[in-house]
Amino acid sequence: MSKQVKLKIDGEYVTAEAGQMVLEVARANGKFIPALCYIDGLKGLGACRLCLVEVTGIGRLLPACTTPVQDGMSIVTSSPRLAECRKMIMELLLSERNHICSVCVSNGNCELQTLAAELGVNHVQFPYRYPKLPVDASHERFVVDHNRCVLCSRCVRVCREVEGANTWSIISRGINAMLAADLNEPWGGSSSCTNCGKCFEACPTGAIAMKGKAVGENAKRAERIARLVNARGGAQ
Amino acid sequence: MKITDLETLNAVRRAGLAKLRPGRTRIAVGLGTCGVGNGAEDVYQAFLSAVDAKGIEADIKRVGCFGFCAEEPLVNIAIPGMPLVVLNKVKPRDVDRILDELRKGTVSPERALCKIETWDHLSGAVKDGSDAISGIIAYGKGFPDIPSWDEIGFYKGQKKIVLRNAGLIDAEDIEEYIGVGGYLAALKALHEMQPAKVIEEVRAAKLRGRGGAGFLAATKWDFMRKAPNDGVKYVICNADEGDPGAYMNRNEIESDPHNLIEGMLIGAFAMGASEGIIYVRAEYPLAVHRLEKAVAQAEALGILGDNAMGSGFSFHLRLVEGAGAFVCGEETAMIASLEGMAGRPRPRPPYPAEAGLRGRPTDINNVETWYNVPVIINMGAAWFVRTGTDSSPGTKVFSLVGKVKNTGLVEAPFGTPLKTFVYDIGGGSENGKAIKAVQTGGPSGGCIPPDMFDTAVDYESLAAIGSIMGSGGMVVMDEANCMVDVARYFVEFTHSESCGRCVPCRVGLDHALRILNGVTQGRATEDDLKTLENLARTIRDTSLCGLGQSAPNPVLTTLRYFRHEYEDHIQEKWCAAGVCEDLFLSPCENNCPLHMNIPRFIQLFKENRLEEAFESVVMDNPLPASTGRVCQHPCDDRCRRAGVDQPVNMREIHRYIADSVYGTKTGDRVLKKIQARKLPETGKKVAVVGAGPTGLAAAFYLALLGHKVTVFDENSEAGGMLRFALPEYRLPKAVLAREVAFIEAMGVEFVFNTRIGVDKTPKSLTEEYDTVFLALGTWEAAPADLPGVQCEGVMHALHFLDKVSHNEEIRLGQKVVVIGGGNAAIDSARTAKRLGADVTIVYRRTRLDMPAIPEEVIEAEEEGVNIVFLAAPHRIIADGQGRVKAIECVKTVLGEFGKTGRRRPVPTDEVASITCDSVILAIGERVDSVFTGGSLLTLNKDGTIRVDRHTAETSMKDVFAGGDVVQGASNVSNAMSHGKRAAEVIDSRLMGEDRFQQLFKPFEYKNDTPAEPQGGERNISATVPAKERANCFNEVMLGYSMAQARHEAERCLRCDAKGECEVA
Repeated sequence: MSKQVKLKIDGEYVTAEAGQMVLEVARANGKFIPALCYIDGLKGLGACRLCLVEVTGIGRLLPACTTPVQDGMSIVTSSPRLAECRKMIMELLLSERNHICSVCVSNGNCELQTLAAELGVNHVQFPYRYPKLPVDASHERFVVDHNRCVLCSRCVRVCREVEGANTWSIISRGINAMLAADLNEPWGGSSSCTNCGKCFEACPTGAIAMKGKAVGENAKRAERIARLVNARGGAQ
Repeated sequence: MKITDLETLNAVRRAGLAKLRPGRTRIAVGLGTCGVGNGAEDVYQAFLSAVDAKGIEADIKRVGCFGFCAEEPLVNIAIPGMPLVVLNKVKPRDVDRILDELRKGTVSPERALCKIETWDHLSGAVKDGSDAISGIIAYGKGFPDIPSWDEIGFYKGQKKIVLRNAGLIDAEDIEEYIGVGGYLAALKALHEMQPAKVIEEVRAAKLRGRGGAGFLAATKWDFMRKAPNDGVKYVICNADEGDPGAYMNRNEIESDPHNLIEGMLIGAFAMGASEGIIYVRAEYPLAVHRLEKAVAQAEALGILGDNAMGSGFSFHLRLVEGAGAFVCGEETAMIASLEGMAGRPRPRPPYPAEAGLRGRPTDINNVETWYNVPVIINMGAAWFVRTGTDSSPGTKVFSLVGKVKNTGLVEAPFGTPLKTFVYDIGGGSENGKAIKAVQTGGPSGGCIPPDMFDTAVDYESLAAIGSIMGSGGMVVMDEANCMVDVARYFVEFTHSESCGRCVPCRVGLDHALRILNGVTQGRATEDDLKTLENLARTIRDTSLCGLGQSAPNPVLTTLRYFRHEYEDHIQEKWCAAGVCEDLFLSPCENNCPLHMNIPRFIQLFKENRLEEAFESVVMDNPLPASTGRVCQHPCDDRCRRAGVDQPVNMREIHRYIADSVYGTKTGDRVLKKIQARKLPETGKKVAVVGAGPTGLAAAFYLALLGHKVTVFDENSEAGGMLRFALPEYRLPKAVLAREVAFIEAMGVEFVFNTRIGVDKTPKSLTEEYDTVFLALGTWEAAPADLPGVQCEGVMHALHFLDKVSHNEEIRLGQKVVVIGGGNAAIDSARTAKRLGADVTIVYRRTRLDMPAIPEEVIEAEEEGVNIVFLAAPHRIIADGQGRVKAIECVKTVLGEFGKTGRRRPVPTDEVASITCDSVILAIGERVDSVFTGGSLLTLNKDGTIRVDRHTAETSMKDVFAGGDVVQGASNVSNAMSHGKRAAEVIDSRLMGEDRFQQLFKPFEYKNDTPAEPQGGERNISATVPAKERANCFNEVMLGYSMAQARHEAERCLRCDAKGECEVA
């Protein structure tokens, strides 16, 4: 049994185990912290920056998913500053690729869509970039539509950390970063892919979709990842 | 042989010292990448073959760089018993002469940059048997005509701790490094000190990470030392120097690689790390080569490897070449890269000291941090903290580049003010253009304006003003740098180097770059600017790693300190620096206050289309013959032909065009053509106050736009300063009169002898007119704080010139002293000379600082005007009748640089008296205080009228203002540009639409650029010889002959022609 620590979240005292991350503890205590690249069962990455929180005494905003709890810590999970940052990050995400809900298989089942609504993003101040990105339908069961990918790398990590196949990776830099199977080959030709479908379950948007689904039919069960990891004895 | 103790080390040291002081001449060529790039390799080879050929006894060595890049190739020469002399800009062809001198045992001072009599390599003193040896090398005394290294501008104020060996020892020879005390600190640490004691010393020295963040090295080291010893620990040197314009680390490694190895060895020992990695850029092949060689040498001597220096401690060091990603300078990204993964950072904690490379405790320090370690151990923390500031002891190496005279690698104590770097070490502007900003900290740093150059360069002070220390890049920018473009450039860099992991940096920088591109291309709006500012703050506050967190700094600081430049781009579509090419036709057009289409009239003239050329000229500038004589010609400053030989003399060409057309039938035809282009009468009435260049320009365009224009002036003739301040010999009255008649012919009405402020007020004018435009100029003398100004015979330049132009009699006397250095001073002096006086100009600065047109100054001197520089008036002495008898001047010296980037004249005790009969003060003008007092307008502190920068609106409804009454005393083209711009704004206000462009018609002409520059050198306009002109008011500059004008037009490179270029 690890050490117990006591900390304050939005003014309320909570206890947690040393080594736990702020996000887990906050969520366990009923606090809402938005997050997109975080998924229960996998280690945090701190990439989407939606889960930033204020920690008293530290000027910088810290990602809740990778900040371990400390005794005596005091966390603020919502504030005007945080709301503004999260909203802008969400707008950046929505403007980056082609997120057109009305024609998306994940409409109604999309974490990006849900979070945008929860964060009150009703318009995007940046022009949409509308990149022309490929759709890879070479896999027998799944489709990757890069136009809907938010580069959260949940698929990459679940493939590496849980399945151990290491099929997925992110290639290129900056705004040109892309998800790629193996050595940037069509997914259907991948020799490492086990067809397990974990990436599909982990994907928060319609980027990895099951073939044969029409608009709004692409429901996923991301909680399966955590269940699987817990059944194996917890995250590595 | 292995080095295991002091005795074995001293044996090598003696060998090394023997190489450094060989008992015969040692010639060492600076062969860093910088030197090689400047041809030092050829110089080295030339020395090698020449000593053989001449049979001279000398050692030829390859050393690193002594830092002064602008003076490369550097060669240092040590004759036994004489100071070490550093020669600059040595070419292979100089080698023979240098060797011939050396044969005589001397070095000629003309060739030498500086000398070094003694040099301290900072290794402390140690026993060698019964002798004490220290790191101080006494070369000898001599060469009195060569300045000591710390006396010349570039090195004065520098302190070499990190670079103590750079450029002096052979970088590829471990014996020389040991010769100057190298590996002594490591021997001491490994044999005599406990690891904790080493860290304690580093803590006491308050050594901060030199990579940019300034984290205390000892704190990191302590974490490492305390991390469990259950496996390997790593120390890493971050030599992934990727900032554009920064090359500190490259030079450090190339010049003194063993210093790095020694620092890392000591650090590894303190932290208990058995493995070391130097992560070095693959783009630094010479640094890689020298490091590899150095590691092999250190291994061979038993300094690295198992049982290092016989201490029982083992340390293995290897190099890894980085593949070139900027983000790999971030420590977690570097670790990922070393693990064979894509270089992307991860959030901390866990910190590398807990879980770094392969999950093991890892310490990463910058190259320069490691360099400070051996010195701290040798000299002690107490010695180290004596340099620099309390919170940041020691020195920092900067690469000082950009628009300064002396570029190079500068090592200065922390806390040195920025202005010392720019003006003293850097030597100020390289080309006389005003310095506008310094950018510190590489692509993630901020741009600091000159009024903040007092800021001390240390971590906290720079952060407080929005910049960063970074790794030490320092880029100086002048007025030819566009700050928007600077921000755009750096964002383009960070945008392409962003790893793409976190959203704000990946997507945010993309949008920021898009907006910045929009600003530089004239597509952005004020709203875009607000979005940009919010976006930049969000990127800074929410990004994952240092790259994203600091990438917006250039944007935020330029928005903070140079916002007006963004506004110019957005509202005026104007880039003052002439960088953003989408916003202008050609550099000359962009720099012309009137934005004359210069390439067009030159091309039309070249095509023998004089009539159209004149039409083009006069529509852009309604006073082309006058400005063709007296304009400050800012077009010259940006002419690209200057890169070939000299700028095209555009002023003289349009003077020629105007002179050959005015008063001819062609002129009448153009006049009719332009009259025909007049827009239908609008029924609107506009009052223009002041018939000077501003008022005339405004009246010309307003009349063409169909308004009824009345120009009021207190004089009885139009022209303002052009008529009453500029002397006849510069601008004949007849030339001006022709141009005024042309403007009058457009339907402008003049009302003379009416003084606004006395006869009428702006308020009363608004009752009669729809719009009032105030262009009164500055006719009142600025008050002089000088004892004796009330004496008879003291007058203000403008009053003097005004009286002369009105043909009033003036009692000047025999000797006249003119105070000042502007055009009014030169005009007064030359006018007084023509009236028969003996004239002396007294100016408190130097010739180069004079605001007057340089040609005018030269002409004045030709005519016999005497100019005394560096003297300021002290008091005026009167005779018994209260008339001027003499003026006392104090000698001045140039002191510190002021905020305008010019040195301030500082008075000395030396006083000189000049006897004279009259004193003319040309020390500035101001707005008529009678007018401003009763005008009811909001004024600026200096009495000028406050207007909106972009619309020329005053605080009073329907009243606009422009020219000197707004900007203070300036020049004719600036004044006219105000009138032109005001006409455009007034018209759009009156009519509710933008009609100004309707006045201008397109011209068809050839758009070929010359394949090769044509026409030879710049043509000089003929002048009347000084003897003939100095006693009459006939025009001095005669203008071009037709052949000259043709040749000059041929010289234009047609920068405006942006057609497709043929690729051969």
